[in-house]
Amino acid sequence: MLEHGKIDGKQAIFLMLSVVLPTAILTIPAGIVRTARQDAWLSVMAATLAVLLIAWLVVSLSLRFPGKTLCEYAEEILGKTLGKIVCLLYIWLFFLYAGSGAVRQFSFFLVTAMMPETPIEVFSITVVAVAAYAVRNGLEVLCRFNQLFLPVTGLLAIVFFLSTIEMKPARLLPVFDAGLLPIVKGTVMPTMLMGEIVLLAMIIPYLNKPEEAQRIAILSALFNGFVLTASTLEALLIFGPDLAAHWIFPTFNAVRVISIANFLERLESVIVAFWVLGGFVKVGVFYYVAVLGSAQCLNLKDYRPLVLPVGVILVSFSSFMHGENIVDMIYYISQIQVPFMLIVFEVGIPLLLLIIALVRGKGGQSS
Amino acid sequence: MLEHGKIDSKQAILLMISMILPTAILIVPAITLKYAKQDAWLSLILATLVGLLIAWLVVSLSLRFPGKTIIEYTEEILGRVLGKIVGFLYIYTFMRIGSGVCREFGFFLVTAMMPETPMIVFIIIAIVISAYAVRNGLEVLCRFNQLFIPVTGLLVIAFLLSTTNMKLTRLLPVFDTGLLSIAQGAVSPIAWLGEILTLAMIIPYLTKPKEAYRVAVISVLLSGFILMINTMESLLIFGPDLANHWLYPTYNAVRVVSIANFLERLDAVILMVWILGGFIKIGVFYYAFVLGSAQWMGLKDYRPLVLPAGLIMGASSYFLFGINIVEYYSHLPYHLILPEVVIPLLLLIVALAKGKGKKSEDEAT
Amino acid sequence: MRKKIAILLLLFFLSGLLGGCWSRSEIGEEAIILGTGVDLTEDGLIRLSVQIASPGAFSAGGDTSGGGKEPPAWVVWAEGETIEDAERYLAMKVPRRIYWDHSIILVIGERMAKRGTEMVSNFFLRTGEPRENMWLMVARGEARDILQAQPMLAKTSAQATGFLTRMKTGYIVQIWEYAEMRASKGVQPVVTGVEVQDFGEGRGPGQGENSTVQKKVELSGVAVLKVDKLIGWLDAHETRGLLWLKGEAKEGAVIVPSPGEPGKEVSIKIRRSHTKIVPEYDGENLWFNVNIYVEGDMVEQQSRVDLAKPEQIKALETAMSEEIKARTTATLEKAQTEYGLDIFGFGNAFHRKYRKEWREMQNHWDEEFSRAGVNIAVEAHVRGIGLLSMPAGSPEK
Repeated sequence: MLEHGKIDGKQAIFLMLSVVLPTAILTIPAGIVRTARQDAWLSVMAATLAVLLIAWLVVSLSLRFPGKTLCEYAEEILGKTLGKIVCLLYIWLFFLYAGSGAVRQFSFFLVTAMMPETPIEVFSITVVAVAAYAVRNGLEVLCRFNQLFLPVTGLLAIVFFLSTIEMKPARLLPVFDAGLLPIVKGTVMPTMLMGEIVLLAMIIPYLNKPEEAQRIAILSALFNGFVLTASTLEALLIFGPDLAAHWIFPTFNAVRVISIANFLERLESVIVAFWVLGGFVKVGVFYYVAVLGSAQCLNLKDYRPLVLPVGVILVSFSSFMHGENIVDMIYYISQIQVPFMLIVFEVGIPLLLLIIALVRGKGGQSS
Repeated sequence: MLEHGKIDSKQAILLMISMILPTAILIVPAITLKYAKQDAWLSLILATLVGLLIAWLVVSLSLRFPGKTIIEYTEEILGRVLGKIVGFLYIYTFMRIGSGVCREFGFFLVTAMMPETPMIVFIIIAIVISAYAVRNGLEVLCRFNQLFIPVTGLLVIAFLLSTTNMKLTRLLPVFDTGLLSIAQGAVSPIAWLGEILTLAMIIPYLTKPKEAYRVAVISVLLSGFILMINTMESLLIFGPDLANHWLYPTYNAVRVVSIANFLERLDAVILMVWILGGFIKIGVFYYAFVLGSAQWMGLKDYRPLVLPAGLIMGASSYFLFGINIVEYYSHLPYHLILPEVVIPLLLLIVALAKGKGKKSEDEAT
Repeated sequence: MRKKIAILLLLFFLSGLLGGCWSRSEIGEEAIILGTGVDLTEDGLIRLSVQIASPGAFSAGGDTSGGGKEPPAWVVWAEGETIEDAERYLAMKVPRRIYWDHSIILVIGERMAKRGTEMVSNFFLRTGEPRENMWLMVARGEARDILQAQPMLAKTSAQATGFLTRMKTGYIVQIWEYAEMRASKGVQPVVTGVEVQDFGEGRGPGQGENSTVQKKVELSGVAVLKVDKLIGWLDAHETRGLLWLKGEAKEGAVIVPSPGEPGKEVSIKIRRSHTKIVPEYDGENLWFNVNIYVEGDMVEQQSRVDLAKPEQIKALETAMSEEIKARTTATLEKAQTEYGLDIFGFGNAFHRKYRKEWREMQNHWDEEFSRAGVNIAVEAHVRGIGLLSMPAGSPEK
C-alpha cells in the first residue's frame, strides 16, 4: 500500500465537496445561464441527477475490487498493457489536465478580480507549492486541512441569505421559456464539473469503511448539486438571465452588489477566502491522485519522489495547456474539457470497464 | 613573547576581513571602475587571484619560522643589519597604511556627512579608540571585531535591496577596455587584498598556526567577493559612464535605493560599516606598527609605545598624504606592491637558498 | 563599587556632549527645502528659487485649528553668478539654515536649460546634502512658477509633482539617471517636462471666496537635450513612443479601434512590457530591430461586438501592436529627422554588440543614428478581459 492513512466517510464527503465547488460556483453559472437562461437552475438540478448515475457507476465498479484504485483494477480488468494505457490516460488527460485547469482558473480569478498587476505565475506557483506540501504528507493531512477550511463555506450560505433582499423571484419566469433543448444543453457543463467526483475511484480503498462508498458518493453529489443550484439562483435572481450571462464570475459580482444598510457590504472577501482556501484543496486532491496513480502505474514503493516533478508539470500545464488569455481558457473549458472529460473519463471508460468486468466475471460481487 | 593572547582561526579570518574591507568598499570601486569600466568585475577576479598568491607567499614564509613575526624572521634570514633595515621598512609600511586609513576615514566623514567639522577631530577620535584596543592586546581587538562584523551583513542586504535599480546589460560589452585596462584596474584591489600581509604579524598568536593557510585563503576570497559585490552594485546601478565619476560610488549607489518610497536613505548602513570597520582597520595596523616596533627595538613590553605611535600615526596622516583629497588620490598605494609581493618573495627565496627555517609540511602544495 | 557607578554615570552624562555636537543643527533651526528651481535671468544671472516647508502647516491638526492661515510653504529666491553664490544670497533672506536633504524636485527653467543643464546638475551631485534621487525636470517657462503653484491634494507643488512622477505615466528622470545619460555617449539625455496651468473656473463649492485663480502643475511631455542644452520638446503622444522605445512603458493604456466595429474604441491597460533593441551592422548599413513585448488587460469596450472569442482577442492583439508601432514610429522619425539625436539609447545597444566598431563611431554617433534604419516589431498579448465577457446589456447574438 502506497498510502497508509485512512479517512472516514464524513471526511470523504467534505473532500468531494471541495473537489467540485471552488471552481464550480465561480465559473459555471455564467455558462449555464448563457445556454439555459432563466431555466439554468433546472439544468443544474438535471445535472445533479446525471451525476448521481455517474457516482453509482463509479462506486459499483470500485467496490467490485476492494482495496484497489482505478489504476490498479484497470490492469486487472483489461490486462497489463491496456490497463496501463488507461491509467496513463487518466493521469495525463484527466487528473493533470483538469488539475492544471483548476490552477489556471484559480490564478486567473485572483489576477482579474483582485491583483491585476501581479504576474499570474506567482499565484500558480504558490497554490501548487502549498498543495505539494499537503500531498507529500498524505491523504489524511489533506482531509484534515479541508475539514478546517470547510466551515468557511457556511459563510457562503450567509451571503446567500443576505443577498435575498436584492433578489426578484419574477426573474425566473417564465419557466420553460426556451424549450427543453437549451436546458439539456445547459446540463452538460455542470454534469462535467460535478462528475469530477469520479476521483473517488482513487480514494475508496483508503476509506475506513469502504462499504459506505455509495452513501458518500450520493451525499456528495446531492450537496454539490444543491450548492451549485443556490449559486446559480443567486446570480440569476439578482441580475436576471440577460445580465448574468455577461459576467465572467457572476457569483462574485452578485456578492459585490449586496449592501445592507450601507453597512454590511463588500462581502466579496468571503468569496475570495472561499476561493483561495478551496482552490488549494481542489488542486491538492487532483495533485494527490495524479501522484498516487503515477506511483501505482510505475509500481513504485513510495509516491513521494513524484511530488516535485508532478508539481512542476502542473504549473507548466497551467501556463501552456489552457491558452494564452482568459478568453482562451473559457473557450477550452466549454469546447474541449466539457465533452471530452464527460464522455471519455467520467462516463465512457468507467462504463466500459464495468461491462468488461461483468462479462469477464472479474472482481468480487458488488455489495 | 610580547603578546600573550591567542586567537583562533575564525577570529583571525574575521579580523583580516575587517582589516581589508572597510576602506576598500568605498575607495577601490572608484579606482577600478575608472580603468576597467564595465569590466571591473574581471579586474576584481584577477585581483583576488593575485591576492591568493600573496596570501600563499606570506603564509609559506611565516610557517617556516614558527612563533616568529615578520620583523623577527627577516633578521634570521638576512642577518642583523639588513634584517633591521627590512624590518624598519615593514614597520614604516604598517604605520603608513594605518595613517592613510585615518586620513580616508576622516575624508569620507567630512565630505559626505559633516563638512563643517575639522578632520582632525575624526582622526583623533579614531586613534584614541584604537589605542585603547591596542593597549589591551590582540584578543580584545578580535573580540570587538567579532561584535561588529555582523554589521557587514547589512551591506549584503543593501545590495539585495538595490537590485531593483540594477540592469544587467550595463555589464556589456565584455572586454571592451582591453586587457591592459583590466590589469590596471586590478592594481589597486591587489594592493588592498595584499594587506593580508599583516597576517605575518599575527600567525605566531594563532592557537593553531597550521591553519594559517586556510585563514589567509578564506579571508582573501571573502574580501574579494564582498569587494566585487560592492563594485557590481555601483556598476549595475550607474553604468560604467557615471559610476567612475563618483568619489565613493558605493555610497551613492546605496543612496539611490528607494523601495516603495519607504525603505530609503540606507546611507546609514554604509556609515556604520565605515565607522566601526574604520576603527578595526586602524587598530590592526596600529597594533602591527606598535608590536613590530617593540620587536625591532627588542623591548619587553609594547605598551609604552602605544601613545607615541598614535601621535606618529595621527601626525603622518596629515603630512604623508597631501593637503586635500585630490592629492590624496594621487598617493594611491601602488608602491605597496614592494612590501606585499617583492620583499616576501625575495625573503622566501633567500630563506630557501640559505636553508633557513624549518621545512614546512605544507610546502609540497 | 561606588567608584564604578560614579564612573559609569560620568561616562553616561559625558556622552551627551559627544555625538554631532560640532555640526549640531536642531530641526527648529533648519529650513527644509521641498523643491528647488533654477532659472536664468534676463541679465544672465542664475536665480535659485527654493520652496521651504513651513513646519506649522505640516503639524497635525494645523488645518482645523489654525484655519489654514499659514501657507504650507514659502517660495524664496536669490540671484548669483553660480548656484552656490545664489545660495549665499538666499541665506541672507532665510532666517534658518538651508537644508537640502529633503528636496523632492529640481526644476530647471526653460531659458536656463537652453544655456546648459550641466551648470545646474553639477552642484546638486557634488554637494553631499541633496539626494541623487531628486526628480529632475525642465519647466516650460520659469521654474519659479512651478514652485509657486498651489495644487490640490498635496500641500505644496513640490510634493504634488513628486507624486505625479511616481505615477510613472510620463517619462521621469532622477538626477543621477540624467547624469548617466549625460555621461554616456550612446544616448542623449531627455528630461521630464513640466508646466503650470490654471485650474479654471469653479474650483469647487466653498472655495468661492478666495477666487484668485489657482495654479496646478502638470507633467507635459519631455525636454530633449543636445549634450546638455535644451533644443526641443516631445508632446504627450510622442512621449508615449519614447517610453516604448526606452522600454519604460510600464503603466498606461493603449487605445485601439474595436475589431468588427470601426469608429468605436477598446482600451487595453498595460500590465507589463519590455523592449529589446538588436543592432545589426555589416560595415556600411546600420539598422536596428526593436522588439517590443507587451501584455495587457482589456478594461473598456465602446463597441457592442462580442470580443470574448479567441479570434477576436487575436484581432485585438494585432490592433494593439499596430497602434504601438505607429506611436513609436512617429517619435522615432522626429528624433531622427527633426532633432538628429539618439534619445533612446540605441548607441548603448550598439556598443554592447559591436564594441570595436563603436570606438570609431561613437564620435559621430548622432549622424549615424539619423541614417540608421529601424524595424519595429511588437508582440502584444491581451491576458484578461475584466469581469465582463460580453458588453453588458447587449442583445443576445
